[in-house]
Amino acid sequence: MNKTFLVIGAVAVGLFLFGLSNANGDLGSFGITIMSGLFQAMLLFLVASGLSIVFGLMDVLNFAQGSFFMIGAYVAYAVHHSPQLIAAIPNADIRFIIALLSAVFVGGVLGVFFERALLRPLYARPIFQIVMTFGVALVIGELIKVVWTPTPYSWTAMFTARSGFFTLFEQQFSTYRLFVIGAGFLLIIGIGLLLQRTRIGIIIRAGVEDSQMVEALGINVRAVFTLVFTLGCAVAALGGAVAAPFLGASTGLANQFLLSAIAIVVLGGLGSYGGTAIASILVGVSVAVIQDWSASPGVNAPVWASLTPMILLVLILLIRPSGLFGKEN
Amino acid sequence: MAFWRKTLQTNAGLLIILLLLILLPHIIGLLTGSDPFATRGAAVSWQGTIIEIYILAIFTISYNLLFGFSGVISFGHALFFGMGGYILGLALEYTELTPDMGIIVGILGAVVICGVLGFLIGLASLRLRGVYFTVFTLAIAESFYIFWGRLPLTKGEDGFTLTTLPTWLNPIADRITFYYIVMVIFVLTFLFIRRLMFSPTGAVLLAIRENEERAKTIGYNTLYFKLMAFTVAAMIAALAGVLQVVFNKKVGPELLSVGYTIDPLLMTIIGGAGTFTGPVIGATTLHLLDRTLRDRVITFTPDFALDIGKSWMLISGFIFIIVVIVFPYGIVGTWNRWRAKRRPPITVSSGTQAPIAEKQSG
Amino acid sequence: MADNILEVNTINTFIGQFHILEGVSVTVPKGSITVLLGRNGAGKTTTLKSIMGITPPRTGTILFDGKSVVGKRPYTIAKLGIGYVPEHRAIFKALSVRENLEIAERNKGELERKVDFIFELFPDLKRLYALPGGKLSGGQQQMLAIARALVPDNRLLLIDEPSEGLAPVIIEQLMHAIRVLADKTTVLLVEQNFRMASKLADRYVVIEEGCSVHTGDMSNLVTDAALIQRYLGVA
Repeated sequence: MNKTFLVIGAVAVGLFLFGLSNANGDLGSFGITIMSGLFQAMLLFLVASGLSIVFGLMDVLNFAQGSFFMIGAYVAYAVHHSPQLIAAIPNADIRFIIALLSAVFVGGVLGVFFERALLRPLYARPIFQIVMTFGVALVIGELIKVVWTPTPYSWTAMFTARSGFFTLFEQQFSTYRLFVIGAGFLLIIGIGLLLQRTRIGIIIRAGVEDSQMVEALGINVRAVFTLVFTLGCAVAALGGAVAAPFLGASTGLANQFLLSAIAIVVLGGLGSYGGTAIASILVGVSVAVIQDWSASPGVNAPVWASLTPMILLVLILLIRPSGLFGKEN
Repeated sequence: MAFWRKTLQTNAGLLIILLLLILLPHIIGLLTGSDPFATRGAAVSWQGTIIEIYILAIFTISYNLLFGFSGVISFGHALFFGMGGYILGLALEYTELTPDMGIIVGILGAVVICGVLGFLIGLASLRLRGVYFTVFTLAIAESFYIFWGRLPLTKGEDGFTLTTLPTWLNPIADRITFYYIVMVIFVLTFLFIRRLMFSPTGAVLLAIRENEERAKTIGYNTLYFKLMAFTVAAMIAALAGVLQVVFNKKVGPELLSVGYTIDPLLMTIIGGAGTFTGPVIGATTLHLLDRTLRDRVITFTPDFALDIGKSWMLISGFIFIIVVIVFPYGIVGTWNRWRAKRRPPITVSSGTQAPIAEKQSG
Repeated sequence: MADNILEVNTINTFIGQFHILEGVSVTVPKGSITVLLGRNGAGKTTTLKSIMGITPPRTGTILFDGKSVVGKRPYTIAKLGIGYVPEHRAIFKALSVRENLEIAERNKGELERKVDFIFELFPDLKRLYALPGGKLSGGQQQMLAIARALVPDNRLLLIDEPSEGLAPVIIEQLMHAIRVLADKTTVLLVEQNFRMASKLADRYVVIEEGCSVHTGDMSNLVTDAALIQRYLGVA
């Protein structure tokens, strides 16, 4: 365990030095990189946490998890930019909160349907569950193209937090990003406490080890499955909604976030909640640092930034498929 | 004696189908009253459809070798399909080779390089368990998809078109020749897989699919067998990709997209995973459905019309979901089960446990 | 037969395509300790799993307290008052001893009331209360697994191979505990260790190749060397 933390520490220091040298020692631009990395990390955590807990508990790797992130982005975009809503509620901040809630609601409703109608009949056929989630990802992507066309949307209707800035080291930092990072850390702690302190948390942790035994203790594990899966989908949709003011809404979001989230889940160790949280931060910040590096005039190879999550995933799988906090199997 | 008669009976069926495939362009020509040797017309258009079915069937057969026969679930099979296409395209358009040499080098190069690529990827990843392997294949395929999409040399996302095909291999000027070339490749692929699965190697692959741990305990190096299946499947997929590129004269990153992984997966499941004819029937059914529905626009209300061509992926996605839930054995698998039920049950004396082997023919 | 808490009648259970139980019948009188005997792979564990609904039987009946439980989901069956202690001590290793017991308590706040009885039975657990289950020794894990089944007021305990891989001293402790339990509840035990089984049980059922082939009072079996030799291959 100490070795694991040593590795994490070494990677963190390495990232720090690499990022700083990239910024030529300019604390302001380095700060911006770190901040955008942490912002990404929080978004990734919202996708990865559901992915990890669902996989641990139900043995289903949900290939549609990234699609729920994408749904969240589209729903939030549509609600926030809806002319009717703009007319009814001129206050953009309130509208944004409604947009967030709508995304969570849509993600949750679709999640319940997904688990109950499409996964539940397949618990006896685990291979087909994987295939099913893959198919659902396809359908969601295509449905979005039908409803919203394949053209990407960028966020235009600003709100106070999104347009706010504060200055540090002669650089302007986005208040919205700071807010998301703060809220993200609170959420990480909140879910952690839920898992550690509440009865449902104990049931989930026990179910990750042996869901059959949990059922034999008189607990309706299937109902817990539905609950956890739904929450996972809703949280992923929340991630998309939170991201939309920066990233807009586009069909590419699903795969981009799915693969990064899988990389995180594998890196953190499947079923390990703390591992997922730490890995989210590591991956988010590394991607931001590499993005900066690959876009710098000396390198100018943005393809590396797009490839980073994939390369990372492949490397982790080759070197340590059980991840940082996973148990050797 | 009974053995020979049985063999003849089985092969008689295959021979009749082979004859039918050879005559198919001419039968369609007679039925539609158009010339199968022409460059346009109903007969030629149908030849095109059937060529596409052959190509998809070859691709699906290769996927079925993994998904259906070996229990290896890859979500990155499009990688080999697309790489095959790119290698041929590069050989024809980006080298100084004559068209004749280009096509030979391109095809051989595609199959060999994809074989090596498949071998290396398999070597690195096949020891990963279950879903880790699936994720790995998805990530690798996605990486190559991004790579080709960003590569300025091959015109990035737009891709490039083939301009220099040899005269004997021109699907537009001389479609019927191309028809027979693709048909022969399809028939050979089909027979090769049948041969492979009836060999001892095939038996081991089936054992791995049923229970890999048990196959290991018996003493088989399951990694070696899975690696072989993965390499062979990669080579066949590359061949399918080559044919696709020649037929459409277009190379682009979309050949490596998730859509081309979904297609063989869906066709395998619809036809019947782990059967010989399943992939062929799956490819035929789905592609014919695609063809007949593609240009239809269903108008529900004046405001809401469904353009099936544009939403084909969506429709096939829904088919996918429905099939996985209610029809998991596919057309051929369900048919086999139905036939097995109608046969009088074989009585097994009590006490002996005789596991009923899955029937593989179809 | 109102004094039989459990009546299993010619159940047939399949796992995948394999026919594992081909007619097993077991009756368990209220307040007794009944043991399932038989060689490895005979179907003893599957019998317990069939009762719990984990591998539901395809045909046959299972009556718990006179009511059929066939076709019910395991959690419903457990709630009726059956506690299950599976083989290999399936405790939750990442959870503390306390959490292992807490998860079994379906009524909020009831655990504190019952924990005294558990500590009396297994004093070790009191000392280890805050430790993760994975840090416990094999014997302690087995105690925890049994204790977990005692948290709800179960009327029947299914205990699968409690002595497996444990030292004789620990086995003595477990035997003592099971005997104490039998005063409050009914036990259906699977046990390979014939010495332990013969000392504990009132009744036995022999299972052979998926069939229950013999049943009777333990006191009769221990004196019949020929019978022991024939069914169990131990003298």
